[in-house]
This record gives sequence, C-alpha cells and structure tokens, in this order.
Amino acid sequence: MSESPNPEELRIGVYVCHCGTNIAGVIPPDEVAEWASHLPGVVHAADTLYACADSGQTLIKNDIKKYNLNRVVVSACSVRMHEATFRGAVSEAGLNPFLMEMANIREQCTWAHGHDKEGALKKAKDLTAAAIAKARFLAPLEMITVPVTKRAMVIGGGVAGISTALDLADQGIETILVEKEPTIGGVMAQLNKTFPTMDCSI
Amino acid sequence: MVDAARHPKIDVRTYTQVERVEGFVGNFKVQLREKARYVIADRCNGCGDCAKVCPIEVPNRFELDLAPRKAAYVAMSQSVPLLYTIDQEACIHCYKCVEACGALDAIDFSQEDKIVWEDIGAIVVATGFNHFDPSVIPEYGYNQYPNVITAMEMERLNNSAGPTVGNLIRPSDGENPKRLAIINCVGSRDKRFNPWCSNFCCMYAIKNAVLLKQMYPEIELSIYYIDIRTPSKGYEEFYERAREMGIKFIQGRPSLITEDKKSHNLFVHSEDITLGLVTEYEYDMVMLNQAAVPQPDVDSVSSVLNIQQSPGGWFMEYHPKLRPLDTPTDGIFIAGACQGPKDIPASVASGSATASRAGRILHSDEWEIEPIIAQVWEDRCVSADGKKCGICAKACPYNAITVEVGTAAQVTTAKCHGCGGCVAECPHNAITQLHYTDAQILAQIRALLADKPEEKIFAFRCHWCSYGGADMAGTSHFEYSANERGVRVMCSARMDTDFIYEAYRLGAGAVLYSGCHPQDCHYITGQLVGASRAERLQKIFDKMGMSPGRFRIEWISAAEGQKYANVIDEMQQTIDEIGKEKLLAEIESMKPEMEKRARRMYEVPDVTDASDYSDKMKIAMTLEVVDIGK
Ligand SMILES: Cc1cc2nc3c(=O)[nH]c(=O)nc-3n(C[C@H](O)[C@H](O)[C@H](O)COP(=O)(O)OP(=O)(O)OC[C@H]3O[C@@H](n4cnc5c(N)ncnc54)[C@H](O)[C@@H]3O)c2cc1C
Ligand code: SF4
Ligand code: SF4
Ligand code: SF4
Repeated sequence: MSESPNPEELRIGVYVCHCGTNIAGVIPPDEVAEWASHLPGVVHAADTLYACADSGQTLIKNDIKKYNLNRVVVSACSVRMHEATFRGAVSEAGLNPFLMEMANIREQCTWAHGHDKEGALKKAKDLTAAAIAKARFLAPLEMITVPVTKRAMVIGGGVAGISTALDLADQGIETILVEKEPTIGGVMAQLNKTFPTMDCSI
Repeated sequence: MVDAARHPKIDVRTYTQVERVEGFVGNFKVQLREKARYVIADRCNGCGDCAKVCPIEVPNRFELDLAPRKAAYVAMSQSVPLLYTIDQEACIHCYKCVEACGALDAIDFSQEDKIVWEDIGAIVVATGFNHFDPSVIPEYGYNQYPNVITAMEMERLNNSAGPTVGNLIRPSDGENPKRLAIINCVGSRDKRFNPWCSNFCCMYAIKNAVLLKQMYPEIELSIYYIDIRTPSKGYEEFYERAREMGIKFIQGRPSLITEDKKSHNLFVHSEDITLGLVTEYEYDMVMLNQAAVPQPDVDSVSSVLNIQQSPGGWFMEYHPKLRPLDTPTDGIFIAGACQGPKDIPASVASGSATASRAGRILHSDEWEIEPIIAQVWEDRCVSADGKKCGICAKACPYNAITVEVGTAAQVTTAKCHGCGGCVAECPHNAITQLHYTDAQILAQIRALLADKPEEKIFAFRCHWCSYGGADMAGTSHFEYSANERGVRVMCSARMDTDFIYEAYRLGAGAVLYSGCHPQDCHYITGQLVGASRAERLQKIFDKMGMSPGRFRIEWISAAEGQKYANVIDEMQQTIDEIGKEKLLAEIESMKPEMEKRARRMYEVPDVTDASDYSDKMKIAMTLEVVDIGK
C-alpha cells in the first residue's frame, strides 16, 4: 500500500434509491441526495427509483463518464443484497469495483424505523454520509485468483445428496459422496410408495 | 441409489464422517474418518452367510426397531453398497462369521478407522433431517399405548419390503386395524416444540390413507388436521381424490388420546371445528405424523463446515431469495432437507441446483476471491527491529502469519481469510486490512457521530452475523430506536479497541460490541479474539466508572432479528434512564482518558486525515492499484 498522499481530486457520485416505496414511503430520497451533494468530495448526487434496475445502473454508468466520477456511493439496501450488482455496474463503466461503497438505508433504516419518519431521515443522511466518508479512503484493489481443484464432495447420501452427486458426475466432475451410515438412501430408502407419483421409493 | 454407486465419476464412501474442513473455495482440504466395518470391501460379495450364522440379535434401527438384525448385518436388502458390517458394540467375538465367510476371507477383525484427507474444490452439504420423538407429548400416549405408532413406523409396516411384508397389523394383537386415526402436526406448528410447518406430513398423511384404502377397502380412515397444506402441483387434486375415496378429514388438534386397557383400542379426544363439537371417537390404531427436526449432530456439522443455523437448527442460506442454496462460505452449498423440511421433489430440485452452483466453480480453472486481506507495514513492525512480538500470529485462526525476529511479520495471501484479527491485535498498528482500513472505519465512525453523539447507540457489527441480524430485524419489520448508528467489519476480531475509545471520545451515548455466537464464527476462532478483547474493554470501562449498560457485548446471529431490535431498544432505555445531563457529564469527564487511549491510532498513516470529516478535503489516497503481494 502506498502511504504517500496523492492529492488527486476526489469525485464522488451519490445515488439514493427509492426502492419503489420501500425507502421512499418513509423518507424523501431526493432530500437525502440534495443534502449529500454538499458533502466534501461529492460532485454529483441524485435519487433514483430503482438503483439496481437496468435504468438505475445505466444512470450510474453514464454519470461515471459524464462527471468523471472516481468513487460511487449507493445508498440503498443491504450489501448482502446488492453489493455484487453495483460493483459489477461501476466496473462496466471502467471504475475499479472496490471504489463503490453502499449505505444500507432500507433493511437497517426505513424498514426498521417505519413509524419514526424523522428519525429515519436523520439516520439515512448519517448512513449516507458515513459511506461517503469511507469512500474518500477507498483504494482500488484487484481480485485474488486462486486455482480450482476439480473435485466435488457431497456430504449426506439421501435423495438430495444422491441427486447432487449424479448431476455433478454427469457434468464430468469427479465426486466423493460421503455417507455416515453403512448405506446411502437416507429417509427415502425407508419409505413405502411416495407421493406424488406413488411409485416405490428406491 | 444404484446409479450413484455405479457411476464411474462417483466415489461412494459409506460409514464415513467428515471431521475437518480447511482451506477455501476451490482449495478445500477435507479430513474423513472411514469407520472400520471389519469387512473388506473388495472381498465381500454380499451373500450374507455371516449374518446367517451370527448368534446375536439387536433391534434394527432402519426398521425403527420393529424388527431385529444380527451383529453382522446390512441395514436392508437393497443396501448400497451391498456390503456387510460387523457391529462391534453387539459382537461377542465368537468368530462364527469368519468361518462362514470361508474362502472369501472378507472379515477382518483387525481393521481400524482410517483417516484420509481429500483435496476438494466445492462441497455440497445434504445431511437431511430427523424425526421428532412424540413420546415427549404425554397426552398422545406414544410408548405407553402399543397401538399408537409414528408415521415412520407406518412407512415400514405397510411396506412390502418391511418387517411384516406389507401387512398392517396392530402391535398389541397382530390384527389388521379397521379404524385408523392419522394425526397431523405432531410436534409441528406447536410453540411448545417446533413452531414450523414440517411441509410434507399433510401429503404423506393423505398418501398413507390412500394406500391403505386401496389395500383394505373396508378400513375407516380419519385424518385430524389444523390446515391441510397441499400447495405444490397436483397435490390439491390428490387431496380431492382422497376425499372422494371416503377418507374423513376432521379439523382439530386432538387434546388427548386414552386407551381401553383390555382391547387396547384408543379414544381420540378432539374438537371438530367444522361441526363445532367436542368429539371422542374410538379407533383400533393411531398414527402420529411427527415433525421433521434437524439432525441431532447439527451443531458439530455446522462448526466443522462453518455453516450458520436458522432458528431451530436448520442450515441457513446466504440469502433466502437471491442465494437460497449458498452458504456464506464461498464454495459450500446446502441441498435437501438439512435446510428445512423439503419433500422429495424439492430435495431433488435443490440437489440439481447445487450441482449447478458448484459446477460454476468446478468448471473454472481459476476462481476469484475478495482481496480484503491483511497487509503489514513493514517499517512499523517491531519484529523487523529485532524485538520479539508475534502477537498478530497468535490471533490468526489460519496460521497465515509468520513472524521471525529480524524481519517484519509476513502474511501469506492465500491463507489469509480477512478476519482482521491481527490488524486489531497488533499493538503497533503495523497491520492493516484492505478495504477495512483504520482510516476507512474511523471516517465512518466520525461521520456517524458528527451530530448529537450523546443520543446515539453506536453498534459495531460483524458482516456475517450481527449485520445480518440487523438486516433480519428490518426485513421482519421489527422496529427499534432510530438512534442506532452502525459500522460493519468482517469479524468481531477486527473491532479494534481504538475504535471503541474513539466512539466514546467523540461522545457516543452507548456502544454495542456485537458479532457472531462462538460456534457460528465465519473465521473459526475470530470471535474468540473479539470476545476476549470486548471483555477486557468491559473491565476497563467498569474501572473508569462508566454507567452500566453504556458498553454492551452481544452475540447475535443473522437469524436473530428480534434480538438485535431488543438489544438496541434496551440500550436506548439505558441512556434514557441515565438522563441527558448525567450522561453528558460522564462523557465529558471520560473524554481525556478516552483520548489518551485512542491516541495510538493517530500514528497510523492516513488516519489523521480522517479526523475531521466536515473539514475541507485533505485526504491521503492513492489511485494506483494496490499490490497485494501475491
Ligand atoms: C413418514 C415420512 C413419509 C414421507 N413420505 C414422502 C413421500 O411420500 N414423498 C415425498 O416426496 N417425500 C416424503 N417424505 C419426505 C422425504 O423423506 C424427504 O423429502 C427426503 O428424505 C429428504 O431427503 P434428504 O436427502 O434431504 O435427507 P435425508 O433423507 O434425511 O438424507 C440425509 C442423508 O445424510 C446422511 N447424513 C446425515 N448427517 C451426515 C453427516 N454428518 N455425514 C454424512 N452423512 C450424513 C444421513 O445418514 C442420510 O443418509 C416423507 C417423510 C417422512 C418422515
Ligand atoms: S405439512 Fe401439514 S401436518 Fe405437517 S406440519 Fe405442516 S400443516 Fe402440519
Ligand atoms: S503484532 Fe504487529 S508488531 Fe508484532 S509481529 Fe505482528 S505485525 Fe509485527
Ligand atoms: S488474523 Fe485474519 S486478517 Fe490477519 S492474517 Fe490471519 S486471517 Fe488474515
């Protein structure tokens, strides 16, 4: 990591999502965007109906070029939901994917404080500001590539494990099927005829 | 079953258990214990001569103890592989089997468990489910009344391959029952036992009723139910057919079963909601549709494979909608009923789907992983100056750090999983974690506490669990105080003491230190590093005279949304009870001490520039691609 400060100008773009009414039903996203536009480093801030939809992603991609953005903040849902989506979008526009940061103003804000609109708005602004603050210190990173051992292991030899193993093996993948009992089959092997076909289970 | 055993690409290892899993996507190392069967696999031809001469009989678990088996046994005649096993617990070492096996010489009492390691690119977990034991519901009389049986026992009793060759008989007298009651939701949808619906018992209740009606046209069949759940394709039609066949459906959950001591007939006491009556009908036999429950060893399997559990102990998916068969660990997937009750079509579908998820990885030559790993600032590491240290290496759950006096600590990129434990533990701030640097985290803390910090409940959350728990609170719309502000790091091991001091220095009303439960930790022992640090902090704050509750340590899983909401609300209550004036005074009086303690981090490159968020930008940053030292 280079420690020498590089005073290149920060150009952050901020996108505040409505998520239909999931967010916009509780707080005004345009107000959050307007407020964010005055934070240091932010050169452009906008609200968008669905940031994750094609239209939202296209907006972000076009803006990266139009405003020459070098950081993107998406104030929307959980990173567990869409971090990969937005990393993909910014990298399609030529930005390193690690220069995108999300603020979770849905799961952890409007959905959790639906009856405290004022509190939710303050929190949405703070969460957006925090993502912008982190964005100022983001550095571009390269993914690490690792080799792949082309062998699979399936643990449990019931009907689910057997199907998995057969499908993997039919794709040509060497598969070890591990079963703790002396026989495979699981519960299904113990059953009489099974619905919906009412044929014998084994 | 046979297809799997015959497939040239499938290596079936029965009587085998997974004991350890190391490594990461594309590069797992799995330790297996192949238990000794005392039978040599390549020699046994499955003739069963050993079982014929074996004098020992024990109950056959496969037949739910309804029939015996020998100490030399196969579970069932269709076992795959058809390979005998000698049950050492039952065996009396008479060696009659050895004699009977004769020239094949397949029995070998000197066999021992074999430990083998396998290199694996991707893992699918399909460990299935178990059956609820209805004897814990005393009012149903299972294990007291001989003619009360479970659904699994029914599956064996009306099975032509079962112990009675498909002749359904009453255990009390060997007669065919003329009136049979089937009771749904036994241990399911019952807050005393399991809140969930077991998914397939409505359908197998109907299935067994239809089969029995075909076998014994005179039989009277009643199914007691709360709701009949038949949502899949063709299921409702099947239910309709059963009604047309004259099978009775009684809406009500039976409250009691009593027995006539002489005839061993049974009386089912239940409300009939449709008729608005309390009923008591007599039957010859009762079948209990026991709930599907997680496997008894689910905790140890979760910890070996690093899988989290949903409430109740089912394996938890990474995202219920978008990644329903992935676990948080890249390269490990879940299929079948281990995730929650699934019938056969759904289990097969999820099996095929995971084969495709795993195939994405296994068909690639290389796989990408996030570069959020640890990096040493060599000039800050005291080991480079010839001092003994190595604290970082002790914190690392993966042995990814080597420290030799005279050179700076070295992180092996491929081994580092990015918990950040070493980063927070290093007393010299000589390590950073990419994408979770001190500067980045401090900038967030400062932004979040810029305005009225004394009103804020500041939460440190780990990515995998407590951040997930906060998401779950939102997804479930469990509302909690909007004064909560949080940052996310990968593991509680990354929650540096400096961050906590800094939050208090800035005037936070309360601070939550939260991560996963120890058994759920995504980084083996990362949580332990985080937990012991949190306990140290608690002692320090106690000594400083901090009001109880202003620092709180909680372990919250990704499934515990309600807990997350409750904890935040309790913390809100704590600061409300302290009162603003007293709180502000306390914050002010502790500021110098917090500042002194937090000072260490101001030495970190970049951090000073993060100090005042509202200040004009004067930040240190680099747009060069960081060399991660592969
Ligand atoms: C009474 C009854 C009747 C049913 N009737 C029907 C029906 O008619 N139609 C239908 O569609 N469904 C039916 N079902 C549901 C059906 O049983 C399940 O859908 C199916 O068994 C799920 O398959 P599975 O492979 O996920 O799990 P399982 O069948 O439980 O198989 C899991 C396997 O993994 C093994 N295992 C567990 N732990 C480990 C470990 N740590 N290491 C290695 N191996 C391990 C087990 O020994 C077992 O072989 C019925 C269920 C019951 C209880
Ligand atoms: S599937 Fe039917 S019997 Fe089983 S728990 Fe659900 S409602 Fe009850
Ligand atoms: S803990 Fe820090 S100073 Fe000590 S060896 Fe590790 S990197 Fe060096
Ligand atoms: S302690 Fe964690 S972050 Fe540090 S080297 Fe080990 S795995 Fe990586």
